[in-house]
Amino acid sequence: MSAVPTPLSEFVAAVPDRLWLALFVLLFGLVAAYVVGVINRRLLTRAGVPEVIEGTAFERTAREFDTSTVRILAKLSSYFIIAVAVIVALTVADVNYLEQFWSGVAAFLPRLFVAVVVLIVGVVVGDKAELLVAERLRGIKLPELGVLPPLVKYSVVYVAALIALGQVGVQTLALVVLLGAYALAVVLFAALATKDLVASAAAGVFLLLRQPYVIGDEVRVAGERGIVQEVDLFVTRIEADGEEHVVPNHSVFRDGIVLIRE
Amino acid sequence: MASLTDHLSDLVEDADAVLVFSPTSSFHDRFEDGDTEVVVVAPDNDVDAEVFVELPLPFDNVKDRIRFGIEGAMDAELVSEGDEVVCIASVFDGGSDAVIRVTVDETVHTGIYDLFVNSRAEPSVIRDVFEVAIELGQKGQKGKPVGALFVVGDAGKVMNKSRPLSYNPFEKSHVHVGDPIVNVMLKEFSRLDGAFVVSDSGKIVSAYRYLEPGAEGVDIPKGLGARHMSGAAITRDTNSTSIVLSESDGLVRAFKAGELVLEIDPEEY
Repeated sequence: MSAVPTPLSEFVAAVPDRLWLALFVLLFGLVAAYVVGVINRRLLTRAGVPEVIEGTAFERTAREFDTSTVRILAKLSSYFIIAVAVIVALTVADVNYLEQFWSGVAAFLPRLFVAVVVLIVGVVVGDKAELLVAERLRGIKLPELGVLPPLVKYSVVYVAALIALGQVGVQTLALVVLLGAYALAVVLFAALATKDLVASAAAGVFLLLRQPYVIGDEVRVAGERGIVQEVDLFVTRIEADGEEHVVPNHSVFRDGIVLIRE
Repeated sequence: MASLTDHLSDLVEDADAVLVFSPTSSFHDRFEDGDTEVVVVAPDNDVDAEVFVELPLPFDNVKDRIRFGIEGAMDAELVSEGDEVVCIASVFDGGSDAVIRVTVDETVHTGIYDLFVNSRAEPSVIRDVFEVAIELGQKGQKGKPVGALFVVGDAGKVMNKSRPLSYNPFEKSHVHVGDPIVNVMLKEFSRLDGAFVVSDSGKIVSAYRYLEPGAEGVDIPKGLGARHMSGAAITRDTNSTSIVLSESDGLVRAFKAGELVLEIDPEEY
């Protein structure tokens, strides 16, 4: 059977196998990218991500450009796979003259991908944390507390940016030191500010569990004598002659309790 | 049609203030640029109104709801005696469907507002106890009507003016009214006579308490029994509020300073 040399079969024969393989890889990459993108979007939607991040600044900005965070993340994974496919295809096709450049990019690409994802997740989580804190504080109408929500947001974003920068290989030592100092300051400040509260709560747990005195008992605590009206985690309320003493629980514990029985 | 519109404009003419009950925000926004003072009366300040009276119970009885709103407005010195007030409320389920004109005078002062806002116990605690009593009144215990007496607030003094009838089932426990598990427990414990004592913050201090207040000078409607009498008397001796579910007629009554303040039929809720 002698084949008739048509122009098409000639063309097919002229192209090296290597190139066909490259083309196949590219095609496969495109299909995989599309499938992964769709699956990702469905998974994220199914996991309830859109409802959770509803109202965050990032999502709102995304909406303005007629897209959404979930769609951006799905697209990102698609682009990543396409880029990998292109690089593999180029390698297979043996495009020599760019080898140096492409091998560098191939190594760098996954890190860039992780960095971008971390950054997006960080910004979204930061936005959400800001919203939650702001919601919590809305009942307390104090203008000074207005600095708290952005502080929480930028802390989260800062950490995310730090991880992202670390991924792409930027020197972050100075920034990490800054973060450490900041965390230490927050912990120190919180410990100082809540020292008495924590001590009171610890004593309050004991008082609530063992109940050395109950509502209605006459006691003398921290120099105040009267009838116990209320015991909660932080304070004990003692009333005598129309005066109600609010005694912090840690002083109850430190000074002891006198139960008065007639 | 003209006479109907005339009647409506007569109704709202020269009103000193408008009380809007539980408005939607779009409905409230329509009042923004009016000249008359607008007072929003609702369970929560959803519409960010400047002038707001909190409604602790969603009074089904419109009269009670309006009385509460007016008393709240009087207390905040938004309206005063002799003012003409127009109330916009919802009588049937759904949106605001009624316009009611009321003249503010002292007879409106029934103490309902006082009961919730100026009691020693927190308003939410009183509301929760009310809800428990109402539910108990609706369902009873195993289908039979049941009576109950709750003394809310000033628990220390109440405990000193009473003695236990039996072991206190709430000893060393930290249950608060309003916790969902409590309703069943209270139902069970209401089988035995005696009062429940609830603290200012809603902790159930004791059950099965026999109250021993001095009963002289307590003036409550004749025909109410021993439970109501002791419930009313304890509120005279202490700063507490008592909420009583009657076994015979099934009504929930609240007493404060020895006087009957509020009467609710659980079946209407």
